[in-house]
Amino acid sequence: MRRVVRYLILLAFFVLLAGPLVWQLSLSLKGAGDDLYAQPPQLVPADPTLGNYGGVLDRVPIPRYVLNSGIVALLVVAGNVVGASLAGYALARLRFRFRRLVTGLFVVALLVPIESIIIAQFLLVRSSGLADTLLGVALPTAIGALNVLLMRNGFQSIPDELEEAARIDGAGVWQRFWHICAPQVRGVMTVVAIFSFVGAWNDFLWPLIVLSGEENYTLTLGLNRLRGTFYSDPRLIAAGTIIALIPILVVFGFLQRYFFRGLQAGGIKG
Amino acid sequence: MTVRQTHDRWWAPWLFLAPALAVVVTFILFPFANTLALSATDATLLKPGRFIGADNFVRLWQDDRFRVAMTNSLLYVVCVVPIMVAAPLVLAALVNGTTRILSFLRTAYYLPVVMSSVIVGLIWTNLLDSRGLVNNVLQWAGAVDSPVLFLSDRWLTLFSAMLVTVWTGLGYYMVIYLAAMAGIDPALYDAAAVDGAGPIRQFLHVTAPGVRATSALIGLFSSVSAFRVFGEVYVLTGGTGGTGGQDITVTMLIQQEGTGLQAETGYAGAISVVMFVVLGLLLAGQLWFQNRRASR
Amino acid sequence: MKKPIGYVLPAVLAFALGGCGIGGGGGDDSSAPVTGKVTGEITFQTWNLKGGYADYFNGLVTAFQNANPGTTVKWIDQPPEGYQDKLSADAAAGSLPDVVDIGPEAAFTLANAGMLLDLSKTDPGAQSAYLPKAWDANKFASLGGGTYAYPWYLNTGPSFFNTALLQKCGVAKDPLPGTYDTLFAAGKTMAGKCKGDTTMVGRLPAIETFGTYGVRLMDPQGTKFTFNDAKGVELVNHYKELYQAGGMTEETLNKLQTGELDAFKAGRVGWLPGSSYTLKDLKATAPKVAATVAISPQITNDKPNMYIESLAVNAKSKNTATAVAFAKFATNKENQLAFCQKAAIFPSAAGALDDPYFTKDDGTPETKLRLESAKAVSDAIVYWPAAFSSKSGDHLREQIALAILGKKDVQAALDEAVKYADGNLPKK
Repeated sequence: MRRVVRYLILLAFFVLLAGPLVWQLSLSLKGAGDDLYAQPPQLVPADPTLGNYGGVLDRVPIPRYVLNSGIVALLVVAGNVVGASLAGYALARLRFRFRRLVTGLFVVALLVPIESIIIAQFLLVRSSGLADTLLGVALPTAIGALNVLLMRNGFQSIPDELEEAARIDGAGVWQRFWHICAPQVRGVMTVVAIFSFVGAWNDFLWPLIVLSGEENYTLTLGLNRLRGTFYSDPRLIAAGTIIALIPILVVFGFLQRYFFRGLQAGGIKG
Repeated sequence: MTVRQTHDRWWAPWLFLAPALAVVVTFILFPFANTLALSATDATLLKPGRFIGADNFVRLWQDDRFRVAMTNSLLYVVCVVPIMVAAPLVLAALVNGTTRILSFLRTAYYLPVVMSSVIVGLIWTNLLDSRGLVNNVLQWAGAVDSPVLFLSDRWLTLFSAMLVTVWTGLGYYMVIYLAAMAGIDPALYDAAAVDGAGPIRQFLHVTAPGVRATSALIGLFSSVSAFRVFGEVYVLTGGTGGTGGQDITVTMLIQQEGTGLQAETGYAGAISVVMFVVLGLLLAGQLWFQNRRASR
Repeated sequence: MKKPIGYVLPAVLAFALGGCGIGGGGGDDSSAPVTGKVTGEITFQTWNLKGGYADYFNGLVTAFQNANPGTTVKWIDQPPEGYQDKLSADAAAGSLPDVVDIGPEAAFTLANAGMLLDLSKTDPGAQSAYLPKAWDANKFASLGGGTYAYPWYLNTGPSFFNTALLQKCGVAKDPLPGTYDTLFAAGKTMAGKCKGDTTMVGRLPAIETFGTYGVRLMDPQGTKFTFNDAKGVELVNHYKELYQAGGMTEETLNKLQTGELDAFKAGRVGWLPGSSYTLKDLKATAPKVAATVAISPQITNDKPNMYIESLAVNAKSKNTATAVAFAKFATNKENQLAFCQKAAIFPSAAGALDDPYFTKDDGTPETKLRLESAKAVSDAIVYWPAAFSSKSGDHLREQIALAILGKKDVQAALDEAVKYADGNLPKK
């Protein structure tokens, strides 16, 4: 009985959380004969077609934009996993003067509203000669304060005995980090990786401001081309968004296995 | 007392911190300092400003729109944070496990998190429209006689935006809770089961306390992001801030005043400063509250 | 122990402070006569014109480069979203393109910061190549009367009525409402017969609506706004009465132009002040509505309204002569006509509207629509004052909504809107 209730609730959440995506899928398959504004909305297309996907691929050089978005996402994920882990480790497990102050700095950075610094960020990127480059897009978010604090949290939950044992055996900082502590927080690292990837992949306003040459456009910028000045077709936009979702689903699906494997790996918990 | 046999070099921590600090200081802290300076000037986007002292803050105090924005943003925190701390935990508990189905469901629940806010906005605007799916279902079920104005009435719009925030956030925090739950000693569950506790009791007495640190962290994060809410309200109101601008949030006000060709960067800077102070108070309040609980 | 941060911070500060300086140094380059050879590379930026018109622009660029050897024109097209943000970021960083596609309101702000060439000083002779009112649209009285961009394309449209909806709600479709008074009366009739979320008007009056209603928007010197006069109040009261009679829903109070269009496509709005490509759009995305739509002249108590896009030249361009030459080339009569034949818009070059493309009827509804719109364009003026920023437009809409909801007195709401708009004018 309990199982039934449990699965009923889970099903309800599934409808709530995944349903709207199904609607987008439906929209992307609707043909010219479907009235999009019909009330009530019709889930099954009356005039199904794959033409919208073709239309998107015609108008927008999807492969190149996917590559660009991929480069930016790669830079951001690498930066965050490496940079935030290093910093999180230092804040959680190394003792030094000003540790509290530096932690405070990251907390302060967390509170700063992005909208109030975006132009200043652009001016900075531009004066470094990085305007209109993918590096310029990736750099400001390459290491996020939130990720640093998440990693710090992760490292803090490692029991002291583990590191003490290593210290007694003569392990230096780097060895303790690489061999003992980092493997313990694989789960959190995966979380950081996923968050960074999604954030970088879906970002619109910042790449728009930094990039001016079309060759460098990320996928979100490219997909917005589907909204013409003179008319807009929701079907194309729906097809485009489905296309934009696929890499994320692939990455997440792939990482998810490692994520849960990491959780089960244990360590001192045996 | 154990004898330490290695001493770390003094510069080791700084080496570890260097990349993160470099990025965060250069791209966040420094521009923010710039904004702080701007808040005391009448700068616009294209013209450097003159120093005007606290004039921007006086103007803010008298600005109706600022009052409305603060009310909305604070309401957002009060309503959304409790849900965001509790609901994802319940969901995580339900979905924890190794079966294929549960694995699939976890991915499905995370889907809203990965969709960009533009897409999410379009989807929900369609659903909540006066002739959209939600209204159709409500009317068919006889719950209401005429369409509910989810997207134009002031309070309903805010409520709808909160719904969207929770919708996109459930999967996000669920994942964090799952990671935390993995750290709970299974022996505790066994002990509770031996004592005769069913799943709900086990949840309340083992799971929930076991992730308390994470709950606290999520409380902090979600209150910060709730106060900074922008995307959901922006897209649901079509970028306008609601009928008569009554659903505007503080971040939207910053965006309206601080970006665009006629941006008044000085005034927007002042709003940012106030926002920062309020966030600081929110955080400090929560930390103080948590410290009190921990020290009992 | 020395803190590494202590060294980094001042360095970063000094570095970035230098980079953040805006508008400093250099004299005013916006009014010197343009000299120099037509050579070198320039950037040409358009707004969301690539989808469907790429061939035209590539052809335009090639033609110019062939006619002017040694020149290279790099064409950039910006996506529809965030154009203002992009312009503002480029302007702030001093990296505006050499020739940029821009509306009068954005041109006003950039001109105010000295970033655009003042054509009245650098190229006064160009005026004769364009329709007078197109030229005037970029002439900014409050900035000293200079003109800051070469007029490019114009856009206007007739009224569209959903006759099926009108019929359902008891409004005669013959004749269609032709004046504001008949429009509002029909709206009330509709409210009486059709309770619910159908409405005659799709959104609140914008500043152009005030203009076509006959309200005086600014004083002649262009130093302050005057749309809170009696006629302005009268217009808002019409909407208020319509709302109170049930002819407008709370949703309508929040709609923007795109929302109005979407609602019309969904068959919930009776009247749409459309543009010349609305019919094509309806046919493609809302066939049911397109089947029963009727077209009639734009509703106005004065002249019809139109919108204009122009090409402005960056005052700090490295190859000003080339940029000017290209801007004039792109906006000359032949090229404008060619563009207008591809897109459903209208030319601002002098004499272009007399071309048979805009005067010869061949019987098809598309042609009839085009001819009518062209006629409207020759009468129309750009009502939206360039000094009225889009921020002021949003604020106006909000104030009117509050007035209609009864939260504010109508006169007070308009006074506030005027006060806000005046606050955004250049300070003396």
